[in-house]
Order: sequence, then C-alpha cells, then structure tokens
Amino acid sequence: MSRADKIREAFAGSHGAHWHSTDAYSRAVWLGAGLVAAGMFLHQVELVLFGVPLVLSVLITNKPKGTPTVSVRPVPRGEGAGVVHTVAHVDGADAELAVVKLPGGPKVVPVHSPDLPVEIRRDAWGPGVDVRLDHLFAGPDGMHVYGPIVGTEHVRTILPPVEHHPAGPLPPRPAGLVGIHRSPRAGDSTELRDIRAFQPGDRLKRIDWRVTTRTGTVHVRERHAEADAEIVLALDTRTDLSAKVAEWSSPHHGATTRPGGSLDRAVRRAASMAAGYLRQGDRVALMDLSRPQLNVRSGVGRRHLMRIRTQLVVCVQAAGWASRVALRKLPHGSVVVLLSPFLDDEIAELAVQTRKHGHVVLAINTLPLPLEPDEETPWGEVAAELIAAEHRLRLRRMAEHGVAVTTEC
Amino acid sequence: MRLAIVLAALPVALILHREADSIGPLVIVAALTAVTAVMPGSAGPALLIGYAAFAMAFGDGHPLRLGVLIMIPALHLVHLTSALAAVVPVKTKIEAASLKAPARRFAIVQAISFAVAGFAAIVPSGPDIGLVELLGLGALTVVIMVFALRI
Repeated sequence: MSRADKIREAFAGSHGAHWHSTDAYSRAVWLGAGLVAAGMFLHQVELVLFGVPLVLSVLITNKPKGTPTVSVRPVPRGEGAGVVHTVAHVDGADAELAVVKLPGGPKVVPVHSPDLPVEIRRDAWGPGVDVRLDHLFAGPDGMHVYGPIVGTEHVRTILPPVEHHPAGPLPPRPAGLVGIHRSPRAGDSTELRDIRAFQPGDRLKRIDWRVTTRTGTVHVRERHAEADAEIVLALDTRTDLSAKVAEWSSPHHGATTRPGGSLDRAVRRAASMAAGYLRQGDRVALMDLSRPQLNVRSGVGRRHLMRIRTQLVVCVQAAGWASRVALRKLPHGSVVVLLSPFLDDEIAELAVQTRKHGHVVLAINTLPLPLEPDEETPWGEVAAELIAAEHRLRLRRMAEHGVAVTTEC
Repeated sequence: MRLAIVLAALPVALILHREADSIGPLVIVAALTAVTAVMPGSAGPALLIGYAAFAMAFGDGHPLRLGVLIMIPALHLVHLTSALAAVVPVKTKIEAASLKAPARRFAIVQAISFAVAGFAAIVPSGPDIGLVELLGLGALTVVIMVFALRI
C-alpha cells in the first residue's frame, strides 16, 4: 500500500457511514489516563481527581453498533408549488443523538424521538431537489459518531403554472369543419354569412321566407362553418434575460430560470396559452426554435396540455445559445405564436419569413421592460438605451411586415 | 453549545485567577477557552483541561480544597460540552430531551468522582504510604479490567 493510499484510508476512516471514535474519545482516554498516572507518580491527588471523570466517561460508555438511518416520506406526486409538508423518520440503532440538517436549519434530536416534521418550500417551477437530509449520529458523550452522511436527494419536477385567461378569436384552420372559430367556408353554424338565390342541393330549411316573399325568387340563408385552429407555440430558449442588463452575462443559480426573466415569462405564457386554446378544443403544438428535436406535435385534450407543460420544462433545461433558429414543418394555415425577447435580427427575420409564407404570426415580446442599466460602468445607461432602441426598431419592422406584435408579455 | 463551553470554563478561569498572583493564568485560560469554543474538535479542550489540572495540582493549598472540588465537575463539563459541540454544527436547534442522557451520565460520573475524592480524604498521607499506593494502583487496574474487558 502506497503512502497516498494510507493517507486516504486514514482520512476515510475518520468520517463516512460507519462508527468511528472522535477527538473527545482520544482526549478522554489519553488525558484521563495521563492525569491519573501523573498524579500517582507525582504524588498529586488533584491530578488523579481531575483524570477520574474522563476515564470513567470512557469506561461507562460502549461503542455503538448497528446502522442508523434517516428516511423521508416521499411527497405525493402532483403537489404543485408552495409549501409542502412531510415527515422524516429517524432510526438511530445504538446512537444517542441525531443531528439532522432540515430545510429550516440543523436540529439535534434524541434518536428515539417521534417523526420530525419537514417543511418543503417550492418557490419556482422546473426540476429541483425537494429535500436532502444530511445527518450524523453521535454515541454517548459524542465519543463515537456515525457519519456525516449525505442524505438521499428527493427530486421533483414542478410544471409551469397555468394562468387562466380567455383565449381570443383565431383564424381557423382551413381543413376540418369542427371547432369554435368562424371559418370562411359556408357551414352549419348560427352566424350568418350570406343570403343568396336558391341552388340545387340547398336544404329547404335554409330558405329565408322573408327575402323570398319580398324578391319573388327563392333565397336561402348561408351560414359560416366552424373550424378548429392550429396553434404553434414557438419558444426562443437561447437567452434568459432579466430587466437588469448587468446580470445578462452572469449565470443564475438556485432556479431553472431567472424569476421574472424572459424565459420564465415565455414559459408561463406558453403554458397558459396552451391551456386556454386546448380548453376550447383547438390543436396546439410546441416548437423549440433552436432545438427541433424537442418539438411536440399538435394535439388536443388535457393529456396534451400535460405533455406540453412537461416539454416546456425539458426545453428550459436544454436552453442555451444556438446560432440558428428555425421553424420546421409548420402545419398549413397555422397560427404561430413566437415567444422571444427579440434581441437579435435572426429571430425577427424568422418571424417575417413565416408571415410571408402565409401563416398568421403573433410575436410576444418576453423581454422585461424597462431595462435597468448597469450602474458599475459609465456606459451602462447608453448601452441599455441602445439595446432598447434596437429592440423597439426590430419590433416595429416586424409589425410593418404584418406580424402582430405585443410589446408587453 | 459553544456558549456552554464558555460557561463551563468560567469557574475554571475564576478559580485559577483567585489562586494565582498574576493575571497570566487568566489570560491563558481565556485564550484556550476561545480556541475551544471556536474549534471544539481541536486540541484546545485537552490543553485547557491539562493546563488547569497541572496549575491546580502545583498550586498552594490543601489537595482537597474548595477550588479543586469545584474544578472537578467544571473540567469534566468542559470536556463534555466540547465533545458535543464538536459534532453539532453552529446555529443548531438542540432539543432539551437530547441532553437528558448526557446529563444523567454526567451526574453518575461526578458521584463516583466525589466518592473517590472522599476516599482520598480519609486515606492516610505522608512519606510511608507505598503500600497504599500499590493497593490503589491494583484497585484501578481491576476497575479498568472489569469495565474494559467486561469480565
């Protein structure tokens, strides 16, 4: 065994998942025995009396055995954001004390205490660790310890929240004659489209008797058809920007996205729009502009909403800069909802090209405005103003090409 | 738990200061107490206990004077609080029930220690006590064997 291995073994022996003695044990043994021996040989009874408690504290305690554990009752699936409660069970074996690092701070409890309440805070959507209870068990007088042990991570994924808002009228998808949106075609809805002369094949119940009487020729009422719409939610996940320009180049820790940032706003808006349109029976698809392999095909129903919300989390996890953005295999006649901070010309060009291909494009600006300049540099205010001016110009250009632009998310 | 170390070391410092002519022992004990409170898992507690024990042993006065009798539980308490503080992180909530077993054990150990002190008070002292010392060592060996080897 090499010297490095010996050092490594000695280091590993002083911690980890087994019972091992502490400095207190060594102190009690060596200092206690030393004081007693010194007192005897130096004829100093005080030294003996000071050493006796240390020796006794070693003699009346045993080295604990067994494998103590701390387990957490899993939180039921489907619990959303907010505060969730569960309990931790401490099985201490021969230990006397358990030091458990709870979310509210570490706590020392006797090992035979009842289950510990654990409060879990879920502040943000996305993947994360619910709780990890690191722990350590101590034997009598802290002379032997078991651990410290890194607890098992209980991970969870919170889906983006859905804000209920009414889905607006949409241009219908030409194919299909079901849905709630008015189609340019004639159909069977209640909304009047035209009154025209009777043609062979028209149903008799469509005859408008009032016009027929007035004109002397048979006329029929023609109504609009109702068709479903195809919505494509196109998400720009290349950047995640907050209102503070100074934070743009630094990573954000502690949550999947910056709270209130462009990506957070885009995902929340996409989830809410998907819920709104799926509720009224429309078909909704999800596209990641820079990672087409993460796209979700169009579909309907509640399960499809869950699929989209889950995929939104996946898209955000894979978020990062990409040089190219693309919208591939857009269904004919679909409505494209582009959620982006629109900070580069590439995305604006994509919106314009999509509009030129005949799709209705709704551009939702997710950049938090107004921008807060970097105060640490004298050029911060100028830079922020320049970015904002370019951004305004980009949105105006898109609007001029027929893209419906919303400046606020 | 760090505060408990300081409180346990307080009587140690006061007794040594009272028995010493200078402020030196007080400064040394204060420094060692600070080291112990900051790093309870270090050699600080051992140095504090060792220094106080030898300072008292080689001080003037009767071997079983009041200062020694107060020092016996105080040094044991320094050892105990340091041992617990070494395994408990700073700013940890400590349930009172978790200290019940250490407190009970502390009381038992102190009862035995004072019994030993009482025995020492009645044992004759002087230059011709070789037989008593021999008997004492033999008794200590038997006690250790009984406890350590569980005979």
